[in-house]
Amino acid sequence: MKDRQLAWRNLWRNRKRTLITAASVFFAVFFALVMRSFQLGTYDKMYSDVIQSYSGYLQLQNPAYLDEPTLDNGFTADPDLVSRIEQDPNVEAVVPRMESFALAAAGNRTQGVMVIGMDPGNDNKALNIRNRMVRFKLTPMAVEALKSENLPGRLSKNLDLFTGEAFTDTDDLVTILGISERDSSAILPLVRKHASFPGEYLMGGETGFAVIGNGLSDYLGTVPGDTLVLMGQGWHGTSAAGLYVIRGVVNMPNPELDNRFVCLTLDDARLLYGAPGMVTSSIIGIRDASEKELAATQARLSAITGKELSVRNWKEMNALLLNQMEADNRSGAIMIGILYLVIAFGVFGTVLMMMAERRREFGMLVSIGMRKGRLAAMVGLEMLLMGVIGIIAGVIASLPIVFLGHAKPLRFTGEMARMYEDYGFDPVMPTLLPDTFYLWQVVVVLLILAVAIAFSVRKIFKLNVINALRA
Amino acid sequence: MKVVEINDVYKTYHDTEVEVRAVSGVTLGFEKGDFAVIVGPSGSGKTTLLNLIGGLDQPTAGEILVAGHRLSELKPSELIDFRMEHVGFVFQSYNLIPVLTAAENVGFIMSLQKWPKEKRIARTGELLDAVGLSDRHNSRPSQLSGGQQQRVAVARALAPRPEFILADEPTANLDSKSAETLLDIMEKLNREEEMTFIFSTHDVRVMKRARRVITLEDGKVVSDVRTNHTS
Repeated sequence: MKDRQLAWRNLWRNRKRTLITAASVFFAVFFALVMRSFQLGTYDKMYSDVIQSYSGYLQLQNPAYLDEPTLDNGFTADPDLVSRIEQDPNVEAVVPRMESFALAAAGNRTQGVMVIGMDPGNDNKALNIRNRMVRFKLTPMAVEALKSENLPGRLSKNLDLFTGEAFTDTDDLVTILGISERDSSAILPLVRKHASFPGEYLMGGETGFAVIGNGLSDYLGTVPGDTLVLMGQGWHGTSAAGLYVIRGVVNMPNPELDNRFVCLTLDDARLLYGAPGMVTSSIIGIRDASEKELAATQARLSAITGKELSVRNWKEMNALLLNQMEADNRSGAIMIGILYLVIAFGVFGTVLMMMAERRREFGMLVSIGMRKGRLAAMVGLEMLLMGVIGIIAGVIASLPIVFLGHAKPLRFTGEMARMYEDYGFDPVMPTLLPDTFYLWQVVVVLLILAVAIAFSVRKIFKLNVINALRA
Repeated sequence: MKVVEINDVYKTYHDTEVEVRAVSGVTLGFEKGDFAVIVGPSGSGKTTLLNLIGGLDQPTAGEILVAGHRLSELKPSELIDFRMEHVGFVFQSYNLIPVLTAAENVGFIMSLQKWPKEKRIARTGELLDAVGLSDRHNSRPSQLSGGQQQRVAVARALAPRPEFILADEPTANLDSKSAETLLDIMEKLNREEEMTFIFSTHDVRVMKRARRVITLEDGKVVSDVRTNHTS
């Protein structure tokens, strides 16, 4: 009889207790993994949204621009420097950008906006704004028209739920409205007929056009083809004013950005602000965005730019968002900590009961010749097996939810969605696929088990055989 | 040949404020093949003396030699090995391992001693035959009666061929028939294998079978009588 066989049988001598303890570990692991996956997935989405639609991974800036992002802290990019940066193996492109503020007006509505000027032929090498063009929009009129087409009841209900929503492609629309594969061939033509939204992205070489955020478009009550007036302050206090035709609408992932986003061509922005040849930053499109490679690229580029210009990474540029996420992360960690505390008590309860119940047996085993070390190893193995059963079950049970949550992220609607938007977040909660956080949750549970095992080992080494036999 | 030598042994317990002298100046010897009982009223020191002989406890004074080992000189881990190799224990409440079958319980100490599997199986079969349980190899303790469990415990104690068996009230939880059967088996093993048995008991049935009766009172040997009973 091998010790591991004996440990396995001992595990099932009190089947209910083992199952309850393993279940407590299972639930803790399961909930911790699912919660953590949603939390980290949400952060990941927010980071990737802000990187892909606004900041990029790296930017070339005037050193003073980070603290005071004004036109006066812009710079004129040296083509030689840009060329040297572009020669870095991890750099795909350097995309010049001008960014400032203005008052936007359309009809009798106005809104303070962020104006971004970029080269439309080049910007997709660093950002993906052009992929966020609104292609479908469920305006109240479109919803009414669709409902009149005798759609299935569930779809009509979803149309009500998502009235006002804009979509960038049919995949997005099919997922959110819950259109089944079987129905899609019949329903999608109707959606295209009633809910298609016009508009195109900016084109290089043309002037007088703008692309605006969907939130801003809704607020101003504009559609592509309408005129947008921009007024503000240009470089060195000049006045800036311009009239632009709205060419298209983009659905920016960050609601705050979506409500204030105006994009012009770089030439138009320079003309508007009276700053020829200037940029406020250059977004550096990179190939490998892993943390290690990003840091290495930043270091290499910083060596090229010297002190005249700074190479900032996305974390430096989005410090506020990062702090916000960090605060949220800590509150999540506290929740998970409480969860683990509960299972720690559960596991300790089992250890205490087991040690008390089997005291006489341990005394007998030591008296007939089983060394305490061997006995402790066997009991430790029992505890470990009990925990590992819970851990494995928890990990396995969490995987379908995590994968499903990644493929079809949870999308909030109604009040919940409004609350998210008020905080400046996209009301979408995707999960993060299994990563090191899975390992960490398992390590934490194993540490709890290790403490429980250490406790039982100590008890066994301090066991008084005679007292134990009398128990 | 002496298997156990006890020379002027004392054992004192210090319970909070009271000092309890459980064994007081005991000098005894047990020969190979002895079938001895230690009797006496509750608190007379029977179990303490048995624990001292078995190396479960250390005397406050005096010395105990078992199979040439001076127990006071052994470290705790050496004492565990010593017990495994030289002493067989039979407890009042059987103390079998509940998750093991009868055969596995009997073979447990042999597996601790790393006996080859074939030898272990053969010895287990031989012992279960000897205690009349050849048909209960695969029964768990919960499937056995009290008497059967105690017979498995005896077989387990005998398995590694110890120098002697210490049996603390082995019949206390058994009905008359089971007790008689168990004693028959022990006598047979004593007779045929010359196994030394040292009992602590209140049970008259055990006393009647013993060839030596040692009486303890207040931790002292008050009589040590060899009877003419022959098994």
